[in-house]
Amino acid sequence: MIELRNVSRFYRRGADEVHALERVSLEIPAGRFVALMGPSGSGKSTLLNILAGLDRPSDGQVSVAGRKLADLSEDELAAFRAAHMGFVFQFFNLIPVFSARENVELPLLLTHLKKAERRARADTALRIVGLAERATHMPGELSGGEQQRVAIARAIVTDPEIVVGDEPTGDLDAKNAEEVLGLLRALKQDFGKTVVIVTHDPRAERYVDEVLLLDKGVFQGSRPGGQTGASPGHGPGGAATAAPGTAGARP
Amino acid sequence: MKFFPFVWRNLLRNKLRSLLTGGAIALAIALVCILRTMPAGFDHFLEQLATNTRISVHNTAGIVYSMPYAYLARVKSVPGVVDAVSWTWFGGAVDKDDGVTFPSFAVDADSIGVVFADLEIAPETLEHFRTHRDGALVGRQTLRQYGWKPGDVVTLSSLVWPLELSFRISGEIPADVDPRFWFQREYFEQALREQGVSFDQAGMIWARVDDPEQVPAVMRQVDAMFRNSEAETTSETEKSFFQNFFGNLEGFVTVIVIVTALVTLCIVFIAANTASMAVRERVRELAVLKAIGFHWKLLFVTLVAEAALLSTVAGGVGAGLSLGLTGMLRAASGWNQQLGPLSGFVVTNALFVQALFLSFFIGILSGVVPSFGASRRSVAATLREVF
Repeated sequence: MIELRNVSRFYRRGADEVHALERVSLEIPAGRFVALMGPSGSGKSTLLNILAGLDRPSDGQVSVAGRKLADLSEDELAAFRAAHMGFVFQFFNLIPVFSARENVELPLLLTHLKKAERRARADTALRIVGLAERATHMPGELSGGEQQRVAIARAIVTDPEIVVGDEPTGDLDAKNAEEVLGLLRALKQDFGKTVVIVTHDPRAERYVDEVLLLDKGVFQGSRPGGQTGASPGHGPGGAATAAPGTAGARP
Repeated sequence: MKFFPFVWRNLLRNKLRSLLTGGAIALAIALVCILRTMPAGFDHFLEQLATNTRISVHNTAGIVYSMPYAYLARVKSVPGVVDAVSWTWFGGAVDKDDGVTFPSFAVDADSIGVVFADLEIAPETLEHFRTHRDGALVGRQTLRQYGWKPGDVVTLSSLVWPLELSFRISGEIPADVDPRFWFQREYFEQALREQGVSFDQAGMIWARVDDPEQVPAVMRQVDAMFRNSEAETTSETEKSFFQNFFGNLEGFVTVIVIVTALVTLCIVFIAANTASMAVRERVRELAVLKAIGFHWKLLFVTLVAEAALLSTVAGGVGAGLSLGLTGMLRAASGWNQQLGPLSGFVVTNALFVQALFLSFFIGILSGVVPSFGASRRSVAATLREVF
């Protein structure tokens, strides 16, 4: 469960104060696939960073998996992210001098796992994203879609409860975007992950359970996802509307 | 250790840049090592040049001032002194236009072989020198320089005295880099007398003491003997004399220390520039690594370790290079006598280890600032900038 209560975020830009988020309150139940959508500058990424523990709100409270993030120090927050969160970004950000397997293995370096076990888990994650046979390839030898799938494998290799993605299809062509969205859907469907993505991609609506809308930093409400079954075998299993009262703007 | 591959692979990410930076560090460390061998090298050179049983006695006012020739007999009479010989600067030139190209001295023929016994001049050469008033003992370096050989007659024009003297070479002073030219004082005095000059002075006196432990006592006694006289003396060991003669070694060492420090500073700047570039181009990756749970301290350590590893490996190569270079100089000094003194410049094990530590700390120092800034940077702020 991800819960935000009256979350605001202000930045100083020169003499001006920019209100990126204004008193946003919402809940994302565990096991949901949710998209944050809205025009550029609406505060989607800021909201994602805050609920993922990458940024702190100027005001309000954030609880993730039962922990109030404000109570965590920077060290604890880093450890919390390592244990509970997986991240997928628009630009895949794989380390170019590491193979696909080694890139996936990176988050496991922070655990006490032995090398053989780290490798086995990385291979499992690569198998889930359908790239087992590309484990030894370097990022430069992979297509954009494959690189993003490696990034997804890296995000899930620690078996986190939550996977967040900032424009995960933003740098992909239509075919690869569909594949990645299907994969994210499968994480929710087959592995019970909570998946939250920020996207401009209208295709995403067909894969998610719910779309949360933001504009000018204000939560505008939600609408159910497409439930199209667009990803064969990984289609959404049921209604994805937010439970009444679990997501909504507070004045 | 599990982060070592992470550090190493990142280091090799831009091979050309790492190679160029490493090359600059290696050359600088090699230079530092060679500079650091110089004080010990000169010391070694002086040790070779000087014995621990020979002392010089000269006018306290300086070596350009003479003292009465009568001092020689009195020095010889000091207990512990085996023998003593006077030296008087002749300032001879083969060609006046070229000036003085080697040191020439008038010496006492009977004592020179005793006082400089360590030179192992052949007995027949000494005998020839002693028995021929115009005889000359010439250093191997000067013989080679002018293509002279024993039996040759050479003429030197003095730039100090109104004399032009011809000498018959008795033989060589068999030291590899010895340029000296010795001839009989008696021949010198006689030539001066013919010019109407009466000469009863000596430039300096060299004395050999029978026991090294007696040297300080002999020097004290000699100087005490001439205290309050018209020409007070200063006695010093041969090594001390040459140290003073070759200039202020302490000043030289200071210059070496300053140059070494400047070279070190240059390496820090070079390495810091590389570290900055390496960090700057990975800002996005670092943000992602922090996002997935890498603590900033861990990233900081790996970034600094990268800089330290590059610098230490390069430093090792540089120290190895200096080791090879000085080894080559030592080998070359075996066949090229001009390089003789360079055989004393040795990169010791201690110096090698010091160079490794120096390069390690250079790496740490150069990596700290850019790594600290990059690893402390807010993830959200970086993501906002780059995504």
